[in-house]
Amino acid sequence: MRHIGTIASRELKSLFVSPVAYVVLTLWSVIAGTFFLASLLGFNERLMRAQQFQAFQAISEMNLNDHLIEPFIGSMWVILLFLLPAITMGLVASEKANGTDELLLTSPVTIWEIVFGKFFAGAGFVVLMSAIVAFFPAILFYYGEPELGKTLAGLLALLLVSFSYVAIGVFASSVTRNQLIAFVLTLVLLLIIGMMLPFIVDISLSGAGPSSESGFAEAIRWLSTGSHIDRMLQGLIDTSDLAYYAITSAGFLLLAKTVIESSRWR
Amino acid sequence: MKLGGANSLTQDTAAADPSPAIEVEDLEKRYGDFAAVRGLSFSIRPGEVVGFLGPNGAGKTTTMRILTGFIPATNGVARIAGHDIFSDALNARRCVGYLPETPPLYPEMTPASYVDFVARLKDVPRKERRDAVERALERCGLVEVRNREIRQLSKGFRQRVGLAQAIVHEPAVLVLDEPTVGLDPIQIREIRGLIRDLAATGRQTVILSTHILAEVDAICQRVILIDRGRMALDEPLAELTGGGRSLEEVFTKVMTRDETHESAEDAA
Repeated sequence: MRHIGTIASRELKSLFVSPVAYVVLTLWSVIAGTFFLASLLGFNERLMRAQQFQAFQAISEMNLNDHLIEPFIGSMWVILLFLLPAITMGLVASEKANGTDELLLTSPVTIWEIVFGKFFAGAGFVVLMSAIVAFFPAILFYYGEPELGKTLAGLLALLLVSFSYVAIGVFASSVTRNQLIAFVLTLVLLLIIGMMLPFIVDISLSGAGPSSESGFAEAIRWLSTGSHIDRMLQGLIDTSDLAYYAITSAGFLLLAKTVIESSRWR
Repeated sequence: MKLGGANSLTQDTAAADPSPAIEVEDLEKRYGDFAAVRGLSFSIRPGEVVGFLGPNGAGKTTTMRILTGFIPATNGVARIAGHDIFSDALNARRCVGYLPETPPLYPEMTPASYVDFVARLKDVPRKERRDAVERALERCGLVEVRNREIRQLSKGFRQRVGLAQAIVHEPAVLVLDEPTVGLDPIQIREIRGLIRDLAATGRQTVILSTHILAEVDAICQRVILIDRGRMALDEPLAELTGGGRSLEEVFTKVMTRDETHESAEDAA
């Protein structure tokens, strides 16, 4: 088990000498800043307009959590889908390209240790990404009074989603030695699992009417990240959602382990 | 020791011939219909330096990869220092240092941090790790470049980093796959000197593959020649080259004899 830390810390250090990490972090920070500023200005605008029209009902319903923090974190989740593959693409693929898989697999290290080492390296990186996102709502606590619990739930949602996406990235990276293929594969998997599954269900059921909503369609919907993250962003921490993140992470890590193991036999 | 009381007697009597460092029985590796290694058996005593010879595609790298646990064998048994490489894989791997044909380096690391990383992977105890890393760097002449990036190092230095990686945990068995390929003559001499120094400690079993016959002449005590996955010859170097024959003559003779043998078989 101690090899997990060894592998993860080596991977993280290597990540931070590569330009990719800095490009991703820069883009992520700039986009987060822009989105935050945009949602802040939008919030202000709406508030002013509501005041102008004396719409006290609307003013009383507006709050920082529902109208600023939640959409902000929600949009950062969409950006995550596109940036995270750049971080995870090399996790296993670069070992094969370097020939260093020959070192890992001939060391007294189990394949689970390799897979978890890679996973925790990616997880460490997304903790940093989430911390950058957390910085912006933190500003609001200085000037206003957002709800702490709700804000933390939103950030936790982003973090858990990121973890499960890292697991997907580890899997995609383990099927190839080519980082570009790993990138595209991760992106496609993330887009399907993150956003497209509900649409796929809708399209396939479109002719059949509402009565045909079967258990299968329900299950496919459950597999999509969208509904799980929405509920958590609203401050609802549900066991079903937590289970979802745990199951996707564990599932894809198991797949990665199987892929690495079977590649030996070829 | 796992050996029971009944075995201790045979162990005492076998003092002259201690339990082998590497033991291979009927090793076989198939890729679909193609057999890369067919029925290889040999055993190597501790402290022996063995040259693993054969033409390209003879199965040298495959055999070495099986011994180090990188790929599983289709059939047969292999033991490293008494540990079965399949059923007791982690213990067997702890006893092996392995330098693959292309050294498994992370270009963005420095030799010092890389060798330290490998020492952790190979379970060098925490207290000894620092010393072990220093010793490996020193023995491989890497002290002056210890904090340079590996990607900036010359091929000769990279090969040395690969060697340092293989010896950092002081393994009982050292497996080197073409350790001098692609180096210039001076670097070759340095690497050979290094291997000879390692072997001179007497406790280190070395098996190295090459197709440079002079290399075998320079370092090895015993030659194992394989051809198309089969054992072609297994003899001490002194006997092979006794009577003024050069290794090259022997090599060519065995290979051509094999071929005529084979074609006769095909004809029959």
